[in-house]
Amino acid sequence: MNYKAGICNFCGTGCGHLLNVEDGKISGVFPSRNHPVSKGRLCVRGWHIHELIRTDDRLTTPLIRKNGKLESASYDEAVSFAVEKLKGIKKPSEELGFLASPRSSNEENYLFMKLARSVFKTNNVSIQSESGQRESLNVLYKGTGMAGMLGSIEEIKKAEFILVVGTDITKQNPIIGSEIHMAAMNGSTVVTICSRKSQIAKLSDIHLQCKPGSKKILLAAMAKGLIEKNLHDADFVQKYTEGFEGFANSLGSLNDGDIESLTGVSAQQIAAVVKNLSEAKTAMAFFSSGISGLDEDTISYIYNLFVVAGKIGKEGCGVNPIAGIANLQGTYDMGVAPDLLTGFQSIKDAETAKKFGKAWGADLPVENGKDVYDLLAAKKLKGLVVVDHDELIVRQQKAIDDLDFVVYFGAFNNPFTELADVVIPIGTYVESDGTFTSTDRRIQLSHRKVEPVKGIQAGWQVYSMVAAKAGAKWNYDSPAAVMAEIASLTPNYSGVKYDKFKGIGGIQWPCNDKYPQGCPRFNAGDAKGKIKFVSVSANFKGAEKNTEFPYLMMTGKAQHFWHQNNLMRRTFIPMREYNATLLLYPKGYVEISPEDAKSIQVRDKWPVKVVSPYGSMKVTVKVTPDVKSESAYVPYFIRDMISEFLMEHKELLEQGEDAIIPVRIEKV
Amino acid sequence: MFLIKKNEVLKLAQELEKSYAVYGPVVEKESGQAFLTKVDSVNDIDLNAPIPALPPKSVVFPQIEKILGYKYDRNSKNVDIKMVVVPQAKAIFGLRSCDLAGIQCLDRFFLGQEFVDDVYLLHRKQMFIVTNTCTKPFAQCFCACTDSGPSAKEGYDLNLTDIGDSYLIEVGSDKGKELCEKMGLQKSEAAHAAEKVKVVDKSLDSFEKEAVENKAWISRVMNRITTGFIKPQVWEFIGDQCFECGACSFVCPSCSCFNIEDFNKPDTAVDRMREWDSCSFEGYTRMAGDHNPRKPIEDRRNKRFFCKLSYSQSKKYLRPGCVGCGRCAWVCPGDIGLPNVVTYVRREITEREINE
Repeated sequence: MNYKAGICNFCGTGCGHLLNVEDGKISGVFPSRNHPVSKGRLCVRGWHIHELIRTDDRLTTPLIRKNGKLESASYDEAVSFAVEKLKGIKKPSEELGFLASPRSSNEENYLFMKLARSVFKTNNVSIQSESGQRESLNVLYKGTGMAGMLGSIEEIKKAEFILVVGTDITKQNPIIGSEIHMAAMNGSTVVTICSRKSQIAKLSDIHLQCKPGSKKILLAAMAKGLIEKNLHDADFVQKYTEGFEGFANSLGSLNDGDIESLTGVSAQQIAAVVKNLSEAKTAMAFFSSGISGLDEDTISYIYNLFVVAGKIGKEGCGVNPIAGIANLQGTYDMGVAPDLLTGFQSIKDAETAKKFGKAWGADLPVENGKDVYDLLAAKKLKGLVVVDHDELIVRQQKAIDDLDFVVYFGAFNNPFTELADVVIPIGTYVESDGTFTSTDRRIQLSHRKVEPVKGIQAGWQVYSMVAAKAGAKWNYDSPAAVMAEIASLTPNYSGVKYDKFKGIGGIQWPCNDKYPQGCPRFNAGDAKGKIKFVSVSANFKGAEKNTEFPYLMMTGKAQHFWHQNNLMRRTFIPMREYNATLLLYPKGYVEISPEDAKSIQVRDKWPVKVVSPYGSMKVTVKVTPDVKSESAYVPYFIRDMISEFLMEHKELLEQGEDAIIPVRIEKV
Repeated sequence: MFLIKKNEVLKLAQELEKSYAVYGPVVEKESGQAFLTKVDSVNDIDLNAPIPALPPKSVVFPQIEKILGYKYDRNSKNVDIKMVVVPQAKAIFGLRSCDLAGIQCLDRFFLGQEFVDDVYLLHRKQMFIVTNTCTKPFAQCFCACTDSGPSAKEGYDLNLTDIGDSYLIEVGSDKGKELCEKMGLQKSEAAHAAEKVKVVDKSLDSFEKEAVENKAWISRVMNRITTGFIKPQVWEFIGDQCFECGACSFVCPSCSCFNIEDFNKPDTAVDRMREWDSCSFEGYTRMAGDHNPRKPIEDRRNKRFFCKLSYSQSKKYLRPGCVGCGRCAWVCPGDIGLPNVVTYVRREITEREINE
């Protein structure tokens, strides 16, 4: 049988697939019909993963930079050289950073984190490619103690009411979008809050096309409506929660009369949605936690709205952030963050630190680390260790160039190797066993399917080699042994064992004594203490435009542009689709409404200049009724757009999807 | 016609294994999913397996394959071109009748027109096909509506039908007859043939009860699709649900569209690859000079159903392009598998007739 069951490694949905292995090469992919999440579906990316995995553009030997040129070396030479240099960094807690990959397996991320903390004595270990995920986890952890999706993708069909906030979900996580669409076809009420007419907006029963930057206000208005009309779930609030009054008070400063002018959504429309939500027995909320994710305040409002409506903690309910990368959830679960150990345990917690120190037989640095990006920006860093990653390049190429020493671990040739002093190849995810945790906390085991490229070691072996060179004794004979150690240190993973992964579908954490086979959702009774309303700001100011900058510009992702296209450009069909857009709009585009096109006097594909208070760029216009008048939308899919224009708005962009740039659009 | 005892039926595959690479329905253990693929051992073949997820076109038209290799030497200005290696002759054992209809459509596309596709021919020639009658339909089947089942009528070398204790073997070619004679199989009698008719009738009768997932009244919409008298709103309703994943084309036994890419290898050699493509992609219909005759997604969707259901396209295939296997319905992230589209179009016809 040449088809072997596995898990798709692109986005965080965790779809099941089967890879066709012929003559030791992956030469096809097919959806897994019995998989509980994907049920026989894959998206355009998933259908072409074999094009990526079969590429010959691989790192096939360790490389050491000598006189400016990378030269072949043995693993032993490369690892020795790297360890010597890294050990030479005097203040690792300030000068050394570890940048992990959200595509690596749990086992590899865990060992990488352990390497940073226990061997090289730094807590500067992070990913930060999807900061919105951390903000979502913060909110959910504060509220419920569960740092992960509260619901389950498998239960979408049981939700009578589904709220989609912002995300273009049918493009970014298409199979979750599909589940929502299927639920809608079977009678669930789907409501989308989005300033653009995205595909999911078109497929929804109600589309609240709010003004850019006003999602939070709209959500607050919905919560206010629920409470004022006494449509909230008072029994649930009374029995399970605390902090209701505080939340209700913070809504007080929202003036009912202002809502329509701030959001562009009428009171009747909001009342209709509030009624639907309160009448539904079950409800779920979805929002992207990715690069175009929401800010923490908006996420808090979504969460509080669902708590006040009594729509968490039971079957068919939940507040569900959607991870954009295969093992993004798992990477946080493995403690790849400056302030966390595995399972969202705080590094500052003395008991936890003691437990890890004892298990690892090492003294751990006690102070929280810093984010690698912040360290780069602060120019304090001397050494950097990076895994399978080059998104950083777009923003930080110069800062990295200035570092003393850079180590790169990866499977593929990529632009980052040009910045590295040592390049150490590791196997791809099909060349080793490993678990991946998808967005609904689903831990799935992906078996080795092909022999590694000649002489190439798996990541977990390479990290052990590095540890050994640095004098630490790690004795793992397999990824299963790594997972055994993770389970012993992580309450949420305590029941996870490789033996338990029978068939397909994996195990959803918490997997512990209470739930030995995992648990699909957060159950209200499992909260430690009461479920908390999280604190929110009472700031209801909309994004401001003025006569000089009359358009509110949103930013987002283009359909076939995905994580700077490092992976996609190794495929054929998805790359061609990206090129189809690129050829039509070689300098990128800004979407404006037909009315605005008329007033600026431009037609589709005509060049314009977009001017903001911080900078300007030349792009072409795409005229579409998908945006409202006085709104504009820029999907970033061209590097120049990111590096030359959008990066100038870094502070605004850090606010996530609701980052709105007031601009002027001029005919050229 | 011949007979073979039920528990001996795999002996046919064993005989074929002597001269062919044998492909058949096998269940992958971890996922429990059936695939029509090259078998490690003929004993793995499961004739009762559900309709294989992977259409048999992967045997004659792989998902991705090298069709040519070349290397250009800058100094000598020589190009060294190499054809692909000729694959071993293949036998498909246990093919469902709908999937055979799919291969026949592919034959007419790749071989039956002005140009003959050499690479396809390499896979297809000397092929031995053993079909297997469906004694009852699966939940997603509608071959009864597309004239492609439950038992194959032509195009096979041998056709098996489970008639109780034995399989009845119908012979479709000299090659098939020779194989049966060589194995010294028992000749069947008229009663056995009559038994097969009963089996097929019973299978057809059970569509109402068993094939519950899809009801597609194909003939009712062929006329509309051919003439194009379908409201644009219907196509927009369908287009809005398209996620542009290409899955419907990839799993379709009769979809033949492909893409060609030259893949540069690190050693400067080039592999020319051919792979499955889909009309749902914008880049697929885009032409040089940025002209795209089917830019909106609904126009691309409407093309697919024209290909599967119009009379003009059926003339090329000598049958409808849709073979009634139902795969597109279960891989679609929208809700626009072919049977559903037929339903949407029919609903519109009904509304129109009421209004008129």
